[in-house]
Amino acid sequence: MSLQFVVDGLLTGSMIGLGAIGVTLTYSILRFSNFAHGDFMAWGTYATLAVVSAIGATFGKVAPIAPLSFGWPLLVALVVGMAFTALLALLLDKVLFSRLRAQGQAIIVVMASFGASMALRSLLEFSFTSRPTYFSRAIQIAMPVGFGIRITPDQIALLLLTALLVLGVHLLMTRTQIGRSMQALSQNAALARIVGIDVAGVVRVTWILGAALACVAGVMIGILVQIRPFMGFDMLLPMFAAAILGGIGSIPGAVLGGLIIGIAEAGAVQLIGAEWRAAVSFIILMAVLFVRPIGLFGVRER
Amino acid sequence: MSETVLDVRDLEAGYEPGVPIVRGASITVRKSEIVVVLGPNGAGKSSFIKAIAGLVPITRGTVLLDGKDITAAPAHTMVRLGLAFVPQTENIFPLMSVEDNLRVACGILERREAPARIEEMYAMFPDLARQRRAAAGNLSGGQRQMLAVARALIVHPKLLVLDEPSAGLSPKFVSMVFEMLAGIRKAGVTILLVEQNAKAALATGDRAYVLVEGKDSHEGVASELWNDPVVAELYLGQRPLSAEKTGHAEKGGAA
Ligand SMILES: Nc1ncnc2c1ncn2[C@@H]1O[C@H](COP(=O)(O)OP(=O)(O)O)[C@@H](O)[C@H]1O
Ligand SMILES: [Mg+2]
Repeated sequence: MSLQFVVDGLLTGSMIGLGAIGVTLTYSILRFSNFAHGDFMAWGTYATLAVVSAIGATFGKVAPIAPLSFGWPLLVALVVGMAFTALLALLLDKVLFSRLRAQGQAIIVVMASFGASMALRSLLEFSFTSRPTYFSRAIQIAMPVGFGIRITPDQIALLLLTALLVLGVHLLMTRTQIGRSMQALSQNAALARIVGIDVAGVVRVTWILGAALACVAGVMIGILVQIRPFMGFDMLLPMFAAAILGGIGSIPGAVLGGLIIGIAEAGAVQLIGAEWRAAVSFIILMAVLFVRPIGLFGVRER
Repeated sequence: MSETVLDVRDLEAGYEPGVPIVRGASITVRKSEIVVVLGPNGAGKSSFIKAIAGLVPITRGTVLLDGKDITAAPAHTMVRLGLAFVPQTENIFPLMSVEDNLRVACGILERREAPARIEEMYAMFPDLARQRRAAAGNLSGGQRQMLAVARALIVHPKLLVLDEPSAGLSPKFVSMVFEMLAGIRKAGVTILLVEQNAKAALATGDRAYVLVEGKDSHEGVASELWNDPVVAELYLGQRPLSAEKTGHAEKGGAA
């Protein structure tokens, strides 16, 4: 068999992993499963697309950065899209989640996130139709790199971007005061307040971080696959499976979980057929829950 | 009489509306004192100091710290106001390293001051220095308590408030904790603590209050309180102090 599935898997895994970081942060710090996280991805992607179009309308056609399929407009739009997605998450928290959280029942917040997910997705379909769209229709030539593996310049760039972002988030979590505050809050909320941590501030940073990374993951899907209102929703199961496989609360775990699921999916597609792709996350999720519910890097609740 | 650090007047507080647990308690703590709050189990001692620290809703009364009204200030602002609280249990972040436990508490310090302050804590608690990279959850009971106290002291509090710092520790560690508190007071920090271990607490403390059913029912000089028959009946009588009463204080009390 060809080793192509490794590259395909790493790419899918990057998207899953970046998304799973947000899932795992929301779960460990805000203590609920945010089913609207996938829709943050989709909204971020459409926002980025809108900014790309606006730049195109203002500056005319901009040549891509050779050998990539996209130029500076997409990079600028991505940053705007990340900010937009962060604002969306903060807004949703303010009008919906924070009020329900104050009542103290996690399941209500989870259901609310399900409702928000449907509403957000429907709004996208309403505004942009459910027809797929693309950042660029240019066809990239995949370069052979040995072992029967072929990879496009876009794919290399996005793998590097993922590695950079993951490293950045890891350093943020372990080397900065805000990162330590996030860890503290996830371990003991009452003690976090006692040591002087402003919970509301940390919660805001959690949303900003998770949403911005969701936007990047969505744009990656947009560049490598296509843009659809359901693109984020379809990522929900793999993202949750990755977060749980990695161990809830663990950022390295979420990323590793994403890569494992991505590679397993790509392997299954190559070995037994594309119709099995969706089953892979489900099987891995079930296996983890039965065999090691705390995941790879998880820690048992005290 | 030296200046008042903490003045709590007629405090009423509770977890649910209409169900006060603390029912009109008043205490005063003066500069450089160690003040002990005693009382039977369930008297509301923990609730009382948690209310002072902003963790339990206050429905009546006032809390003044250095003359400043801090009644019901949000819990996370208390360290900035000068009050550091050490809860009885779960008072460290178990998955973080010892050093990160200290670092995360340095939020109100100048960025440049924090590393030096952490080293000062290590000098004070050499056990912690040896384990700075270890996960705090792997520390022994006594070391956890030290870490919790170091974490509280690191921000230069005016008042250190502790909930049963000796609970669950072996006798060796109990005496270590009280020696530590005496040392902290010598360094100029005022201390308010809740204790079940009345003998050791009264030996170390200057004054004590007895809290019964959410009210301060009795106040006195610590060394005298131990022999007070009213207190004995109110508090000590309700609890067979088998292990604690075998020491000298009991013999002294009987003499
Ligand atoms: N988190 C809580 N929610 C509701 N009631 C509580 C809570 N904590 C303590 N209580 C109640 O408050 C009363 C006093 O408890 P506590 O303050 O812990 O007393 P003490 O520390 O003197 O043993 C008890 O009746 C207890 O049931
Ligand atoms: Mg108590």
